[in-house]
Amino acid sequence: MARKTSVPSPAPVPEGSFWHRNRRELQFLILFVVLLGGGFSLISLNWVNDHAIEPFTGGIAHASGATLNLLGQNVTQTGTILRNARFAVNIRNGCNGVEAMLIFLAAVLAFPASWKSRLTGLTLGIVAIQAVNLIRVVALFLTGIYFPRIFDTSHTVIWQTIVILFGVLLWIFWANRFAAPAAPAEPAT
Amino acid sequence: MATRATRVVAAEKTPPRSWVFLLVRNALLAVVPVALLWMLLTPLYNRVLLESAQKLVRLTEYPSVTDLLRKDTHFAYINRRDFPPARALVHSFRVTDVHFHLIMVGVLFLAIPRVPWRKRLENLGWAALITIFFDIFLIFFYVKATYAVQLGAWSLAHYGAFARNFYGLAKHLLDLPFKLSLPFLLWVGFYYRDLSAGIRTRV
Repeated sequence: MARKTSVPSPAPVPEGSFWHRNRRELQFLILFVVLLGGGFSLISLNWVNDHAIEPFTGGIAHASGATLNLLGQNVTQTGTILRNARFAVNIRNGCNGVEAMLIFLAAVLAFPASWKSRLTGLTLGIVAIQAVNLIRVVALFLTGIYFPRIFDTSHTVIWQTIVILFGVLLWIFWANRFAAPAAPAEPAT
Repeated sequence: MATRATRVVAAEKTPPRSWVFLLVRNALLAVVPVALLWMLLTPLYNRVLLESAQKLVRLTEYPSVTDLLRKDTHFAYINRRDFPPARALVHSFRVTDVHFHLIMVGVLFLAIPRVPWRKRLENLGWAALITIFFDIFLIFFYVKATYAVQLGAWSLAHYGAFARNFYGLAKHLLDLPFKLSLPFLLWVGFYYRDLSAGIRTRV
């Protein structure tokens, strides 16, 4: 016999035009794409990159270097470069977790929720994403030393997938648990 | 040994697992099988992508001079037949990096709880199809951005300021934010109502 579960009934589908029927989804998707495109265009500006992204990436390199030293790797840091006697990495855009943070930020801001919920989600989400990214940088450095043959795949495929998937699941968790709709759902017509 | 009746009573007393718990659990269970399937299909998919993107690039140039040549399983060269042989291979890139987001598409679409398998697979098929078209266009923009901004004097002579900015920005936006967020966008497109229903039930 099947276990009893509380299956949420699907939201009522309003009648009318395609836009009217899918208004909430489309509003979210359009706002998300605009925020995401705007965010990435912003960080591609040289001034923003030099004054915000590079120092931020330097901070990540510092934290990663400190963690690697705790693991006995004797790493030195120069700007965004980490090196020891056996391996060196340069943490660049794409490896600093900013992409995952921007995707998460755009999704949180685009979703209908109270500003308090959004602020909570953004604070906890950004900290969590950066924690996973720190593990990623440290793991990649160790991969470069001990398993150099899988470094490329690990760098672009495995860890990008883990970080982005983590961000997406985190957003779904936030939206499901903390983001009560800002306005009550419209009654079905 | 528990009888069937006691098992049923125990099952009825167990609190139902939340929608989001089931989603995360299913996603974790799906990651490894989906990644293995993706790795298995990658050599074939790389070939399909390169041939399709090559056809698309040739539609936009006259005469048709661009070849996308496979270097090995993962890499490809952009080759121009109108360049001197020593300079014909203008750029190389890792094709496999273009489409690893298919892993996320597979995981997210298979992990959705309380949706019949037939519907899950149908939605996954549509999402995969959209992703394949996206990947072909992404390689198209890789090639165009290479021509527009990475070939020095040749780029300046053949592409104006608007075209250089357009192809450069389009490649940047497609290659990072939209490639990485495409699985999420598709998932929301298909399952926003399920997520909203979960929130409504909880509220």
